Amino acid sequence: MTTELVTLTIDGATVSVPKGTTLIEAAKQAGVLIPHYCYHPSLPSPAVCRMCLVEVEKAPKLLPACVTTVADGQVVQVHSPAAEKAREGVLEFLLINHPLDCPICDQAGECELQDYVFQEGRSGTRYADYPKRFNPVEEFGPDVLYVPNRCILCTRCVRFMDAVAETPVLNVSERGDRAYIGIDPAHALDHPWAGNVVDLCPVGSLISKDFLHKARAWDLDKSPSVCPGCSQGCNIMIDTRDDVVVRLRPRPNLDVNRHFICDHGRLDYRWMNRGDRVEAPLIREGGRLRATDWDDALDRLSAAVGDAGQGDVVLLASARASTESLGLLHRLAEAAGGTVRAAVHIPQGEEHSLPGIPHLALRAERVPNALGARLVGYTDAWNAALDRVASAALVMVLDLNLPELLDRLAAATGVVCVLDTIDREWPVAVSHVLPVSTMAEEQGTWINRDGRAQAYHPARHAPGMARPAWWVAAEAWSRLEPGRQAEAGVDDAMASVASVIPALDGLTPSRLGLTGRIVAGAGVHG
Amino acid sequence: MGFPHPIHPGENPVLSTHFGDPGAHSHAGWVERGGYTALRQALAMAPSEVVEVVKASGLRGRGGAGFPTGLKWSFMPKEDGRPHFLVCNADESEPGTFKDREIMRWTPHALIEGCAIASHAIGAERCYIYIRGEFTEPWRIMTEAVEEAYAAGVLGASALGSGRRIDIVLHRGAGAYICGEETALMNSIEGKRGNPRIKPPFPAQAGLFGLPTTINNVETLAAVPHILTRGADWYRGLSLGNSKSTGTKLISVCGHVMRQGNYEITLGTPMRDLIFDMCGGMRPGRTLKAVIPGGSSVPILNATEVEGCVTDYEGVVAAGSMLGSGGMIVMDDSTDIVYEIYRLTRFYAHESCAQCTQCREGTGWTVRILERILRGEGKASDLDLLLDLAENMTGKTICVLSDSCAAPVVSGIQKFRADFEAYLTAGRPHALAGV
Amino acid sequence: MSAAHATEAGTHPPVFTGDTLARLEALYDSYPTRQACLLPALWMIQEARGWISPEAIAEVATVLGLTPAHVRGVVTFYTMYHQHPMGRHVIQVCTTSPCHLNGSADVVGALLKETGCGELGATSPDGRFTVVEVECLGACGFATPMLIDDDFIESVTPERVAGLLQRYE
Repeated sequence: MTTELVTLTIDGATVSVPKGTTLIEAAKQAGVLIPHYCYHPSLPSPAVCRMCLVEVEKAPKLLPACVTTVADGQVVQVHSPAAEKAREGVLEFLLINHPLDCPICDQAGECELQDYVFQEGRSGTRYADYPKRFNPVEEFGPDVLYVPNRCILCTRCVRFMDAVAETPVLNVSERGDRAYIGIDPAHALDHPWAGNVVDLCPVGSLISKDFLHKARAWDLDKSPSVCPGCSQGCNIMIDTRDDVVVRLRPRPNLDVNRHFICDHGRLDYRWMNRGDRVEAPLIREGGRLRATDWDDALDRLSAAVGDAGQGDVVLLASARASTESLGLLHRLAEAAGGTVRAAVHIPQGEEHSLPGIPHLALRAERVPNALGARLVGYTDAWNAALDRVASAALVMVLDLNLPELLDRLAAATGVVCVLDTIDREWPVAVSHVLPVSTMAEEQGTWINRDGRAQAYHPARHAPGMARPAWWVAAEAWSRLEPGRQAEAGVDDAMASVASVIPALDGLTPSRLGLTGRIVAGAGVHG
Repeated sequence: MGFPHPIHPGENPVLSTHFGDPGAHSHAGWVERGGYTALRQALAMAPSEVVEVVKASGLRGRGGAGFPTGLKWSFMPKEDGRPHFLVCNADESEPGTFKDREIMRWTPHALIEGCAIASHAIGAERCYIYIRGEFTEPWRIMTEAVEEAYAAGVLGASALGSGRRIDIVLHRGAGAYICGEETALMNSIEGKRGNPRIKPPFPAQAGLFGLPTTINNVETLAAVPHILTRGADWYRGLSLGNSKSTGTKLISVCGHVMRQGNYEITLGTPMRDLIFDMCGGMRPGRTLKAVIPGGSSVPILNATEVEGCVTDYEGVVAAGSMLGSGGMIVMDDSTDIVYEIYRLTRFYAHESCAQCTQCREGTGWTVRILERILRGEGKASDLDLLLDLAENMTGKTICVLSDSCAAPVVSGIQKFRADFEAYLTAGRPHALAGV
Repeated sequence: MSAAHATEAGTHPPVFTGDTLARLEALYDSYPTRQACLLPALWMIQEARGWISPEAIAEVATVLGLTPAHVRGVVTFYTMYHQHPMGRHVIQVCTTSPCHLNGSADVVGALLKETGCGELGATSPDGRFTVVEVECLGACGFATPMLIDDDFIESVTPERVAGLLQRYE
């Protein structure tokens, strides 16, 4: 199907866009940002903020760019004197009742009211002599506060709950400049996706209690990542302050999560900051674990793998591990020569969809890389694998926090090597503990339930001597096979995995970009 | 007639012939007075023929915008298989306007007949008449009349035995000026806040319940039966000079005239004759100061502009304002025009639906500046500020409520600047009494 | 909705039962959606209870298949729906420009004095009247008009006020 293209000029730049495109989207193609508040690409457009008014040749009035569609030969001026005066007027009207409490506002620094006033607003006020409207702060939900005095009535939050969450608990109440966002008194804003209203709010009116007064926006370091919370693979930003993760926010990916993430994913980040980490390789000697250096630890790990010989190797891993780590560990286990039984643990939870966005849900599979794990040789037959632990010659465990697993390991008769993030009370049977990084500290690739390979990137430093698990596997493998060069980086690691799993060919983290790519033939879910 | 006053020779009663005549209320009384012959005639015609007659008559919308009625009807899709709706706008709430109320009070069947003819013309099976909530008496009268019309077979599955279904549903508003705006009114019928909608889509494509809809004012629809029975040529001939403004128009006159009331004039009548002759002019010892000629939303005219003004769509524009709904607010020289403008801005600030920024915030700010001026605390720069805000509030919002708030401010400052300056320079105090 | 919701006005027995429910249901055929019956339904509540309480909002939402948030947005939009209990008789007096030109301020003064309400929006100590100011009642040529409950009264002057009020107990 071919799309009919329409050619128009926006601030002197000529662009061709599909028929039916709005001016505000066409302007993006022309490299022009048309200021706006109520418009959001994932919500219906009410054209109420009147901020995106632009001048269109031959039109008698300024037109709202968010609902005006392109026409062939149209000449659009975003920065004409009339359009700029109109926007200056809107900004002035928005500020008259605004408290200007930016010094204590969480939104400061990433506030669209601040930004546009800075760009196009008046330098002084003409509203100095009047009291401002005042309404008290309201608690809307478990993680959402409403600060009505900062509200610009753009109604994005109302439209999100109406049209996207399809749980309309918010409204506009009253009329004129007495209007405010109201909430059904019998229902809190506790929808599993409700937190998105905080991101959607262009000002500091809807704010997260979790993030309240935690950091100034300009002190945050932001890293693109992928949510580890389930197999949907929503794209996120990890925001850190002084190497501490303080907030997860959605990162747009129109093919995966559009502009949204669920509250489960949003709020489950504290584990990334845990202090009880394994910070050095530990080797059991004389019944006690003692710290050693990586050279020693890796020598011992490769020796243990070599010693397994033709015996069974059991590999138990978290499906939160990267495809690179899972793949290389599997290849290391295979290098021993015996039968490898690899399984991942996939915790389950209740599914919560976001009704207005097709194919978007908090998935029952609460791990991000179940598909990647299956692709590189792991099964879901978890209990069957557990049953083999006692008799296996070698057991390798990657990043699993399961109390019942420790009991099984205690009964192991072979060698037990654990690659872990957390310092635990290991049973005596565990002879090697190797510190690895979390997803927040490394680069890697996950494959979501739709078969999309997506790269995540480090947001903070790994503590102590912790390394990515793929690095541990690669180094141990190179020691096991003299002359074999250990993979030097995560791209190399993926290339090695891809050499036996052709579907993964070319899907290295550095080539996946910010939105990922579909793995050929990997879309296996119902 | 200049109801409630006796008919004046300068009037041309067509719609108002039976104002004050209690016998015209009932179905029987209406039939005795020639009622429902137009509907019978229309039902025997093809819908397109009815549209053509109305087009040829030159009838224009009497609610304010003055859009040609026949042309509006012709925008409705033909045989598209979808339900069509007619909506009658009886939300009359423009300050200064009280004509539709009288039509419904005295000649409810005239409106029913007009609605039925229009429904036939546009292919609507159902017509909603949206009556403002405050109109308790017209509501009661219309309710009885609609029941009678059903009982008499005028409405229902086979209107006047034509085989054509025409239903009328009365819908009561609940206190919101903005519901007089056609798309806000549709939202209100749908059980929503009365927020005006973005156009396009226009009602003829996607109106009430998303279906093709025509919306007409009470007076417009009440004129239609007369056009059918007496002919388009007759109606087009009712014009004192301007072929674009035809027919009669009910002008509601209120304020400082001797006889306030509704006057049905032939379009083109001099405004001076209306005010000084028909309405009896000013109170003794008073002179004319200003007229807001088309409901409160249009620019104010001063006495000089009134002098040469011709009362039709083009004539009032030429004088510097608009005919609008035909509600004239007359103010004599005792009027504190600054206060009256302030009072109007307060009306708009109260009625703003809160959607568009300029309207939501601008109307309230305008009120506060005027309040301060009236308290004698205004600044020299306030008039320029008011004009600048008015510019920012005009032509930039979904509907024209914001523009309407700005219009009296701008024209007031332009034409009565001295009145404002008296507050600014002399510190003239005004007790904001009683309100 | 449970009738057990206690309020300062007491419990909330449902409005939409018996005849009232039948009247509402009779409207369903007049509109393609249930939502369109909201304004008429709110009028029925106000007729029965004198105001529209949060419990009534919840009830009408359930009956019409709407959300309380939507209903509340609507109730707060239309000024004739009372969000608080009112006096036995509600007086709505117009003070917009045309009426102001004809002395509505004096009518308001007389109403506040004669009813004992003292100020606009307040209810008289005996609970008999609430006087509210309204914008344009659409009877500008009959200034000053007012509504007492559903009675539309034209050409009110300060002198007429006391006599008019006598009819309302």
